[in-house]
Amino acid sequence: MARLEIDWTRCEAHGLCAQVLPNVITLDEWGYPMIVQHKRSHDDDLTEQRRAVGVCPALALRVTREPTTHGQARHTRAPR
Amino acid sequence: MTAATQMTPLRFGYLGEPRLLRGIENGALDLPRHRNVHGGIPDLNLQQLIDMCHAVSLAGRGGAGFSVAIKLASVRRGHRVVVINATESEPASFKDRLLMTLSPHLVLDGAEVVATALRSRDIHIAVHEESIAVGLRHAVAERPRGLRFRVHVIGGGFVAGEARSVVRALSGGEALPPGRRTLPTDKGVDGHPTFLSNAETFAQIASLVQMGVAGYASVGAHDERGTTLLTVNGAVEKPGVYEVPLGTSLGALLHSAGSHPVAGLAVGGYHGAWVTPRTEMPLSRAGLSKQGGVLGAGVVLVIDDSTCALGELARIGSWLSHQSARQCGPCMFGLPALTEDLVAIIRGKANAERPLFRHASMVSGRGACAHPDGAARFLTTGITALARDVDTHRRHGNCGRPLLGQLPIDRR
Repeated sequence: MARLEIDWTRCEAHGLCAQVLPNVITLDEWGYPMIVQHKRSHDDDLTEQRRAVGVCPALALRVTREPTTHGQARHTRAPR
Repeated sequence: MTAATQMTPLRFGYLGEPRLLRGIENGALDLPRHRNVHGGIPDLNLQQLIDMCHAVSLAGRGGAGFSVAIKLASVRRGHRVVVINATESEPASFKDRLLMTLSPHLVLDGAEVVATALRSRDIHIAVHEESIAVGLRHAVAERPRGLRFRVHVIGGGFVAGEARSVVRALSGGEALPPGRRTLPTDKGVDGHPTFLSNAETFAQIASLVQMGVAGYASVGAHDERGTTLLTVNGAVEKPGVYEVPLGTSLGALLHSAGSHPVAGLAVGGYHGAWVTPRTEMPLSRAGLSKQGGVLGAGVVLVIDDSTCALGELARIGSWLSHQSARQCGPCMFGLPALTEDLVAIIRGKANAERPLFRHASMVSGRGACAHPDGAARFLTTGITALARDVDTHRRHGNCGRPLLGQLPIDRR
């Protein structure tokens, strides 16, 4: 499973990530990103996440792969 | 039962038989006196040490309470390093300073046991004060050669004592939490696999291997054996460090410390939580968490009804804001916002709790270290536990009591 991770020591509240991923990231009252949706990444989501990583001028975003046990990933979609 | 220490205005005492605080009534234990009081230490391999720690459910004493057995088992192979974190950045805590000052060899014994089990030769000791470092270097010089003990004085405030800040400082960097989450057991000091724990943890390990599992487990709570060091601070007649069997009741501890009627109680220190004071409440990790509290680094804070409780809370809120390293936006902006919310509550503004809880949820989990999480927990649980004061302030705009500053914020 891939997920977006924020390096809070780098983030400078530019806010571009929220424009690229409006469904995943909103900004708090100070302009810092809040990840509202930690969902399982499909391949196309991953592409979007990588775009967000690419537009961050502070290089504060990363897509990390969390190790999951085999077969578990299939069932981890959060109920909505 | 209590004796004044020569080094500090703080006292120490114990309920039941002292273990870690044994033999220090007449001052610091040098190596010969230490060996008289505590005996020698056995050589254990890693599995034996893990088994012993597991048998008594030994938990780290720095705040997080992580299992020592699991931490020992997860130190990666390689050039392993042992770190004693004696920075004790929590201003209400004094237990580690007391140990390092009066019984340094107990802590060094524990580190030696761990280093031997991990086949490590390098032991780093991180402290905040030069005065403690001087005594430690002296203690290190008394010990037989073999292991490399190195004492480091690292600067900084509250967050500089966090494990990964210490690792970073010992690796030549700033004493600040790094932005990327790495585990010291995997990549610690200079990139080497590192076993880092709080000073008291090492003293507990020394005590455990000297007493054996059965002896060590002869007192304690059913799910966590042995004793623990608690710093009692605030509105008590005898503030100080108390060694108590885990599971001792709050009432027994406060009786020893000479408390006035308790108007507010926080456990775990300034990253801890306020709880409703109940005399029968057991002082153990599990016992406190059932009441919404945390044992944390073993701090018990008391205020009485002569001070403005919400003022005390806001004063700590302001201090916690200033302890932000200002690396992470939500902490840098969120903690001052929380303090302003507290001031609004103090002035009696209606519905002023709502923004406080909202801001608390916005800082939690959004930083390089747990400072925003701990600060938010301390402040929100305070507002919940002090609901009567909130009500009084809402109705009258104040409580009519002065702010006495019963909660300590900085000795330095």
